[in-house]
Amino acid sequence: MYSLLALVACALAACNGGDGSKVEGAIEVMAFKGGYGIDMYESAAKEFQEKNPGVTVSVSGNPRVWEQIRPRMVAENPPDLMFPGWGMDHWALVEEGQLRELDSALDGPAYDGKGTWRETFDPNMLKLGQKDGKTFMLPYYIMVFGWWYDPAVFAKNGWTPPTNWDELLTLCERIKAKGVAPIAYQGQYPYYMIEGMLYPWVVSLGGVQAIVDAQNLVPGAWNSEPMLKAAEMIDTLNEKGYFLEGSTGMSHTESQTQFLNGKAAMVPCGSWMESEMKEVMPKGVTIEFMRVPVVAGGKGDPTALLVGVEPWMVPTHAKNADGAIALYKYMTSLPKAKEFVEKKGTLMAIVGSDQAKLPRVLEKPAAAVREAKTLYANQHRQWYPSMQKEIEGAITSMLNREITPKQFVDRCEAAAEKTRNDASIPKYKMSL
Amino acid sequence: MKGRGRVAFIVSFLAPAAIVYAGLVLVPLIRAFEFSMFRWRGVSNKRTFIGDENFRNLFQDRAFATALTNNLMLLVGCGVAVVALALLVAHGVRGEGRLRKILRSIYLFPQVVSVVVVAVMWQFIFNPHGLFNAGLRAVNLSKWTHTWLGESAWALPAVGVAFVWYALGFYIMLFAAGLEGIPHEVNEAAELDGSKGWHRFWRVTWPLLWSVKRVAVTYLTINVMNTFAIVYLMTRGGPDRKSEVMLTYLYEQAFVNSQFGYATALATGNFLVVMVLSLAILFVFRRNPVEARP
Amino acid sequence: MKRAIFTVCLGLFTLTVLLPLVWVLISSLKPGAEILAEPWAMPSEFRWANYARAWGEAGIGRAFVNSSFVTVATLVILLPIGAMAAYVLAKYAFPGAKAILGTFLGGMMFPTFLVIVPLFLLMRDLKMLDTMHGLILVYVAYSLPFTVFVLTGFFVNLPDELAEAAMLDGCGHARTFWSVMLPLARPGIIVVGIFNAIGLWNEYGLALVLLPSERNQTLPLGIANLTMTQQYQSDWGALFAGLVIVMLPVLVVYGFFREKIHETMLAGAVKG
Repeated sequence: MYSLLALVACALAACNGGDGSKVEGAIEVMAFKGGYGIDMYESAAKEFQEKNPGVTVSVSGNPRVWEQIRPRMVAENPPDLMFPGWGMDHWALVEEGQLRELDSALDGPAYDGKGTWRETFDPNMLKLGQKDGKTFMLPYYIMVFGWWYDPAVFAKNGWTPPTNWDELLTLCERIKAKGVAPIAYQGQYPYYMIEGMLYPWVVSLGGVQAIVDAQNLVPGAWNSEPMLKAAEMIDTLNEKGYFLEGSTGMSHTESQTQFLNGKAAMVPCGSWMESEMKEVMPKGVTIEFMRVPVVAGGKGDPTALLVGVEPWMVPTHAKNADGAIALYKYMTSLPKAKEFVEKKGTLMAIVGSDQAKLPRVLEKPAAAVREAKTLYANQHRQWYPSMQKEIEGAITSMLNREITPKQFVDRCEAAAEKTRNDASIPKYKMSL
Repeated sequence: MKGRGRVAFIVSFLAPAAIVYAGLVLVPLIRAFEFSMFRWRGVSNKRTFIGDENFRNLFQDRAFATALTNNLMLLVGCGVAVVALALLVAHGVRGEGRLRKILRSIYLFPQVVSVVVVAVMWQFIFNPHGLFNAGLRAVNLSKWTHTWLGESAWALPAVGVAFVWYALGFYIMLFAAGLEGIPHEVNEAAELDGSKGWHRFWRVTWPLLWSVKRVAVTYLTINVMNTFAIVYLMTRGGPDRKSEVMLTYLYEQAFVNSQFGYATALATGNFLVVMVLSLAILFVFRRNPVEARP
Repeated sequence: MKRAIFTVCLGLFTLTVLLPLVWVLISSLKPGAEILAEPWAMPSEFRWANYARAWGEAGIGRAFVNSSFVTVATLVILLPIGAMAAYVLAKYAFPGAKAILGTFLGGMMFPTFLVIVPLFLLMRDLKMLDTMHGLILVYVAYSLPFTVFVLTGFFVNLPDELAEAAMLDGCGHARTFWSVMLPLARPGIIVVGIFNAIGLWNEYGLALVLLPSERNQTLPLGIANLTMTQQYQSDWGALFAGLVIVMLPVLVVYGFFREKIHETMLAGAVKG
């Protein structure tokens, strides 16, 4: 009687793969254990298990989970659903045919049965996991890049967040006069400068096409006029002494701590800032997100926003791919997504999830996403890691004032040319 | 050594170690070397045979040259520092007295804690606002403060300091044992000759430390050429590869760029360099200078 | 005068060794934000909670037992077979002896993380993945190069006459080794034992891949979990507490045996 009831309940709750097939068996999930932990995946797995008798889900997580996943990919004995984290070369998995193409699942019904699963995702984010129109990786939470400041400090000093370059220069001068460094940055991880200053300014100066061309390795895109100008802007800030001294030697958390301790007035960082820094947040300090100041009258869309995702995937050799897909459908259903937003304080790639009760610090980033007419991402960082490394090295040298902005862009162009001419590197195309 | 049952003895004594070693180290190692002739991304079992292409690329790889140079600079710098300090402290741990007693109990401490702890700790010490700079400021030497891990000129030396701090204990122990092993008669004879201080050290002690030096220098070479965790955790090879070493570069190629085949070619290159250095060391220390004397 | 300079140098050295460690100890009790804000200051309040968080996150209890078991079991197998091989290679000239020694040394010149994938496949085929005995066997194998390398050095320096005398008394090769030569090489065994124990206690890369499940976790895995998770959460108080938790047992054990180790080591020692 009891089991019959469960069956009926199950049918009502539509607990199946979404395409009518019943989900059963064991589902193994391996997830990167970073700042958001794995507790939400564990609880989702538990609920899914209760809703689907006959299913057992095991979730394991590790801060270096990619090192555990790699040999299992080679052995063709991978987990069913995985979130391998930033240490995994995702596109190598795609190129080697190790990831299942998910388009037929995406065209199936969503978890709640309203519309297709595809429609639950923000299409801009879905695109980041596609090659040649095929989807191999699915987004979960999203990251929005901008700058951060302390509104109380700004109010007390009569400063206002700069919206454009000229305002920024004026403000920096005033901040510096107060004996505070205007800007801190995460020198040991140079992509913060690339994504927090270089890219937004290239977009502002040359339009988003300038960044699309650069990522598509169009000859001359990396030493183009906007690229050089943007590099010169960074160099100008450096030359005028607007960067916190010692930033080149600081890790992300170290430089952000200096900002929180009032040693610097602004810091470039993504929307995860609060969750990353909450343990060292001094009492009474509040932080607020702002869009990167643009160049007044620049060619680019001033609302353009740099975003990023850390994707989930189903391996080709997964033993229970249907189970994995059904579980991920559940995890990306609107109520679960809203729950993640509220508990973890991050934006999600799920349409409507920003209707959740957002933590205060997320209101500005969420508004920025809503207002943005252009969303773009740094994809060459994953596509061409060796080129990224060279660009990161070059920007570090520029920040150490060992090379000029001109030399910087020339090094970038040379790296792009090397990548372009290396037939062994698979090529990708970015589109908006 | 001679005697009956010699062959059976040799075989039976070598076998356990040889079998375990061959099965679990050599077999995977040979497979890994094999990868150096393939284009292999290390995330599937698909491999393409490309012959010596990886090795030919090696010779044009500027990052490889940078990493190797940095390794060699570390080897020279740390080598001199380690041998000098180890000898000095090894003399120090022998006598009596309160300081020496304390010294004896603590000199191995750094070696005892995990290298991860060492790296994290030194990263915080060399942080622009860390222990070291704060100390310099406290004694009015603000102009000596640097962004140790972020400046081109300082990143590698800073890593070297952390390495020496970490590795020194082992060599102190080796040299202490070596000094203790010098027969009393030798010291007495030197005493009678009236040789003292530095003179005695150079003429008597130094040559007698022959076999210890050989072990120390060989092991140090291997150690420095295979440094990974300290560099990776402290600087990640930065800024702009100024502190890149062979293994951090190799790690980048294998796991960041998914060039597993090329990474094994790099490892082979590193292996050959270490082999050549080790052979050179064996050549330098080929004869016991004490025995060689008439 | 010279003595005074020497003493000052030794004092400085002692300070250099101790200062960073003491600093970690003190910092582990600070509220996280103070560690970088005022590195030289004493904690404004003692945050014992740092330890509670570190302990909970890293699952220290079980990992501690696992690590102890793996380390001891590895040494129990490693030291005899390593010493046997080293002895033969040091004292018996036979064709190929040099090559075998060289092969053992070669193992030290190769980074473990490159061997991880083939080793993982091999262990899978041997059905020894995620087992303690599998990891112990791997640890024995990967500790052999260092063990053989150092012990060969010790055996070479033992006078042949002792062994020859024993054999004249009617001891076989094996008896001579176990009852005469091995006891003489005790200092070497101790040096090797200590350094292997330290290395094994702290080993991370192999355990991460070969022992994926939580119940088998060793201490470095727990600590790495902790230190790396802290990098995403900036919980530096707990990070430093974790560093202390992993350091302290080894330091205590070492401190306990230190005098004994020192005496035994210096009793025989490497001859120059």
